[in-house]
Amino acid sequence: MHLPDGFVPVGLALAGYAGSGALTALALARLRRLPDPRAEVPRAAMLTTVFFAASALAIPVPPTTVHLMLAGLMGVLLGWFAMPAILVGLFLQAVLFGHGGLTTLGLNGLVFGLPAVLAMAVWRGIGRRWPDLGALVAGGGAVLLALALFAGIVLAGMPAALDAGVERAALGVFVLAHLPLVLAEGLIVLVLVRVLRRIEPGLLRHG
Amino acid sequence: MSPCSRRLGAGVLAAGLIAPLPALSHAALIEAEAVQAIRLQALYDTGEPMAGAQVVIFAPGAPAEAWGRGSTDAEGRFVFVPGPEEGRWTVQVRQAGHGAMAHVETGAAAPVSVASAAAPGWADRAVTIALVAWGALGTALFAMRGRRRSDASS
Repeated sequence: MHLPDGFVPVGLALAGYAGSGALTALALARLRRLPDPRAEVPRAAMLTTVFFAASALAIPVPPTTVHLMLAGLMGVLLGWFAMPAILVGLFLQAVLFGHGGLTTLGLNGLVFGLPAVLAMAVWRGIGRRWPDLGALVAGGGAVLLALALFAGIVLAGMPAALDAGVERAALGVFVLAHLPLVLAEGLIVLVLVRVLRRIEPGLLRHG
Repeated sequence: MSPCSRRLGAGVLAAGLIAPLPALSHAALIEAEAVQAIRLQALYDTGEPMAGAQVVIFAPGAPAEAWGRGSTDAEGRFVFVPGPEEGRWTVQVRQAGHGAMAHVETGAAAPVSVASAAAPGWADRAVTIALVAWGALGTALFAMRGRRRSDASS
């Protein structure tokens, strides 16, 4: 799910940085409006570790393996804090694991950040009235959006040297292999939201 | 000789007389030479081979123009014979937006083998995750400490 260095045209990579920068600026502006932004930092720091570690765990989905994305979880539990947390997590993944690259950090930030923002919006909208449904849609929808963004960027940045048909077919297999993740991440968010609502309702707000 | 094969032989002779000379000889020529080839194997960092991935080769000094193309086999292996240009050959292996690049030097002083990056083992990953968690814990505690102090002063 991470775009590596050297496979994306320079223009697209720069556009990714611009998009990620704008989204982060928006997130920070929203965070500044909070009465006490610092209160959320411990949770954001710990969830950044979870997000970072998720890419190191490969889950076999024959014929391939997939990684958890957790963008939906970040959006639901962190709100606007998800965006800076995801960028830090992606940076560490690129530097320490070689997942993704530094030139593509902006694009990867959008692939994971936009779904997190969507998950936050879903949680604050649907989750307010129907928490279970909101959690499921936020977790699963984030995976779907991330897949769509990833596939869109790969198709948009297809180099001329490549056989586009073969690459499109491979991308189709890749997206199909990740579809079980839609349900899995929806269930992960659902279970976590249920547990948190029971033991510490104050941790989960809707806005 | 049966009548049938005789007729066939005559037919071949007639065709040979009409057709231009090179078609007359059915002999084959083989020129064999030993060359230096580049062999690579592309794996995901989970250890799975990148089967059927596209390979794009760039000659030294021409990074914008593909010199050759191919695809890996079921084990993620690919072999090609580079041209006479000496220097750094770049090989890109790509599948569904994922992949890696490797650079192979050819020429007299070239190393025998290279790797694009070594995949970290499980112990390395566990240590890395533990270190990042340690950093996050420090960040969390720092934020909480600062908050308590500001609570006390207010």
